[in-house]
Amino acid sequence: MEWSVILPNALYMLGGLKGSFELAGITIVLSFPLGCLLAIGRLSSNPWIKWFCSAFVNILRSNPLILILFWFYFLVPFIIGRPVGDLMSAVIAFVIFFAAYFAEIVRSGIQSVGISQIQAGLSSGLTYSQTMRYIVLPQAIRSMLPALTTECILIFQGTTVAYVIGYSEMLHRASLVAERTLRPVEIYLFVTVIFLLICYSGSLLSRYFEKRL
Amino acid sequence: MPEPIIQLKDVHVSYGDFKALDGVSTDVMPGNCIVICGPSGSGKSTLLRCINALEEFQSGEIIVDGTSVKTCKDLPALRVNIGMVFQHFELYPHMSVLNNVTLAPIKAKKLPKAQAEEIGRKVLDQVGILDQAEKFPAELSGGQQQRAAIARALALEPKLILFDEPTSALDPELISEVLKVMLKLAQAGMTMLVVTHEMGFAREVADEIIFMDHGKIIEHGSADEFFTNAKSERTREFIDKILHKI
Amino acid sequence: MKYDFNWGMMIEEPYLEWILDGIWMTVHLALVSWTIALIVGILIGTFRVTKSKWLRVIGAIYVEIFRGIPQLVQLFLWFFVFPMLLSEEWMLWWNGLDHVPYFTAVIAISLFTGARVAEQIRSGIASIPRGQFNAALSTGLTPPQMYRYVIIPYAFRVVIPAIGSEFLTVFKNTALALTVGIAETTYTARSIETDSFHGIEAYSMASLTYMCTTTMVVVFMGWVERRTHISGLITRR
Repeated sequence: MEWSVILPNALYMLGGLKGSFELAGITIVLSFPLGCLLAIGRLSSNPWIKWFCSAFVNILRSNPLILILFWFYFLVPFIIGRPVGDLMSAVIAFVIFFAAYFAEIVRSGIQSVGISQIQAGLSSGLTYSQTMRYIVLPQAIRSMLPALTTECILIFQGTTVAYVIGYSEMLHRASLVAERTLRPVEIYLFVTVIFLLICYSGSLLSRYFEKRL
Repeated sequence: MPEPIIQLKDVHVSYGDFKALDGVSTDVMPGNCIVICGPSGSGKSTLLRCINALEEFQSGEIIVDGTSVKTCKDLPALRVNIGMVFQHFELYPHMSVLNNVTLAPIKAKKLPKAQAEEIGRKVLDQVGILDQAEKFPAELSGGQQQRAAIARALALEPKLILFDEPTSALDPELISEVLKVMLKLAQAGMTMLVVTHEMGFAREVADEIIFMDHGKIIEHGSADEFFTNAKSERTREFIDKILHKI
Repeated sequence: MKYDFNWGMMIEEPYLEWILDGIWMTVHLALVSWTIALIVGILIGTFRVTKSKWLRVIGAIYVEIFRGIPQLVQLFLWFFVFPMLLSEEWMLWWNGLDHVPYFTAVIAISLFTGARVAEQIRSGIASIPRGQFNAALSTGLTPPQMYRYVIIPYAFRVVIPAIGSEFLTVFKNTALALTVGIAETTYTARSIETDSFHGIEAYSMASLTYMCTTTMVVVFMGWVERRTHISGLITRR
């Protein structure tokens, strides 16, 4: 074991975290609202909207993330007509993929509030969207917080998959360093520890929310 | 001769094969307190929910204060005039009692916040829980919660109030505080439709009683007639059972 | 945007053979990993609810570690790091095996998924009302008997939906094995794409595989749920 290999390369690898957080952050910010829209769409009384949103969610949830990534890595430059950076393809793929997962969390959150609360709101003269906005969603979000936090951790973990299209996040940089220094053990154990620290903190946060419920 | 405030004409409601309401027709005059009773599954709650369009009916007509429910384009505006009190109170757990009461006046009736709060405090006082205004529903007893729910309905200054088994989910000791509030409302002339098993209340307060079974109205008469001289055999059977005549 | 569709090429040689091999690889990699994951998961899940503090701690640590490391990183660990940590002769034995990448993938996927299954089992058992335990013990059953005849069958029915969805997770995770050289479905699609530039057909084939499997499993799980349904029990949906 040559642990000294880690130190000189640590900054470079930790710099990859910037890429991980960037991708994860943009994904969360864009896919959560999209997921909410899809969830509301799935509960809509308009059959077209309901069908479209359900199909969208089901298709995305049936495919592996890495395949969706390949899809968009292929399609995006093709449709736009010129090459795009790997961040762009990755973001589009991730946002669309995780929106489907957020949609399911939000949908079951809304349904857990119970139809009687909706009836109480409607019966006092509020419109459907007022009822959603002031009565259902505030309660739903409280109950969804643990699941939403877990999903964010999964998104962060998912950024490692972007490695396959050459996106520069931490795992990718680690693999470059490991190849160069020929010391995979120390390097990969190092990034493992980093990931563990981050994900464990996330899971503590999720459990905190669950207790607060 | 005053116009009925609610008119039901041959209303039918089915879920698949099950008929919840089977040709219900009746009128409700303003200022009356009507108790609806009957066995479980007889359609009483369905009837209430059709009146404020929380449920759809397949055929028939319902006219509330001159507006036809079926063709009404602005349901929120209709519902603002119809208060509803639920069996499980259904207060919004994430809001204080006062906010529960003022939400609809502010958002649905578009009243300014100050005015809504004034009305809110007035109705909370009317039901006797003004001191609980800033508390959250979970901090109140069942009886207080249901009174808050009644206040929430009153804050809309409705033309009539629908009560769906308002005391069925309450501990026995807490029932009377809610019934007292309802009695005061009836005496003040509010039009009330009350689905309940509380026959004592029915005898004291109701002007008319409707008995339903299997989606039909079996009997609809004045309260006195109902208890002493019910027309239908089925009704008499029900009264015996519910008064625990062994 | 010009694209010449050529769906026919999917069923011609050599692509057809690649595709069938790829799908077969995905299927048996998934089945083997899921089976092991179930065993590991039931074990660890039960550890987490027993009276023994040590077992509970071991269970908790296992779950935190194997859920806290991304699946891809776990694959890398088993592929690059694990062999290096073995002693000389074990390392020679390991590297001498046929299909080292396959075993790597199986271990990595089953241990990761095992942690998830353990959580489902734990929350399944936790959702059983206290009264059931009390009732069983009060009739004179010993704790092991109680688990065997009352608790586990009950918990099992609660977790069945979750177990089905874990299989689907495993099925999709096999795609990550392409990074250690396993020629499964997604790898095949990518190979066809780089070979022929017909990405849409290639990836559609892969997506179709996953979606069909998902639909079949969902339908099957629905059937299983109906067969094992405890009426009156409101399960988490």
